Amino acid sequence: MSYHQDLPPKGGYPDVQWKRNLPSRGFRPSIYLAIMGVVSLLSVIPMSKGFRERREYSREKAWARLSLLPLLQAEADRDYVRRITALTKREQELMKDHPDWADNKPVFNDGRSRFPSYVALEATKN
Amino acid sequence: MPSNHLNTLPYYVVDPTPMPEGIPSVPEVGATSAPLLSVSYFIGARCKPYNNNFMLCRSKSKTPEQDCLYEGRRVTRCAISVLEDITKNCEETLKAHVDCLENRNHELDKCRLQEAFLNKCVKKFLNLEKVIPDAEGIPVHLRNVKLVD
Repeated sequence: MSYHQDLPPKGGYPDVQWKRNLPSRGFRPSIYLAIMGVVSLLSVIPMSKGFRERREYSREKAWARLSLLPLLQAEADRDYVRRITALTKREQELMKDHPDWADNKPVFNDGRSRFPSYVALEATKN
Repeated sequence: MPSNHLNTLPYYVVDPTPMPEGIPSVPEVGATSAPLLSVSYFIGARCKPYNNNFMLCRSKSKTPEQDCLYEGRRVTRCAISVLEDITKNCEETLKAHVDCLENRNHELDKCRLQEAFLNKCVKKFLNLEKVIPDAEGIPVHLRNVKLVD
């Protein structure tokens, strides 16, 4: 009685197919990345043009406001003078019996004009 | 803002005292924001010396409100003259531009057509031109193509 050891066939077993056998579609991934980069870079040009145009719009608006600024300021100044004069007069009238009242004494010594933070006004019924 | 704020009360707290004697009176402009924005460049073009004089006086003075009333009256009178001239000569175009601005959120770039007519009319009758200082390339109000909305 002879014994035979179980051995692989002559020349070995055939390869096991572990890899999928599919055709690859499209380009390499790096090419897609490159295309995306180029498109993004090309889009920067019109975008920057748009940004520049927006900046011109805001400059136009700023210069329009600058042209009006002296006019609005002049009107506000006249109103300030009117109100501060009325306030001083009212204060004098109110404090005329108090000789130690320092009339219209400024809080700061820099000589600049300021409107007082709190003003007593007579509320008039509508 | 608290609910009992002064403006919500049935009182008005505006000081009604008139201007003191000795300060000459001047008519106020009285225009709202859209007409002022519409004619702002023409005010800037005609009244530049008065405006510069007024702002220089203000920047030099420590009490600019009291010291620059004379210059301020000249500024106001000049602006009124521009507004009156434009309303006299170009009322239709001014009204179209103002209405457009009122309807388009006061954005100048949305009203280029009306602005072009107004600029043409003002150039013809008042010889004033809209100039945006330090403009990059063609000034925006003269461009034909609009890139951004």
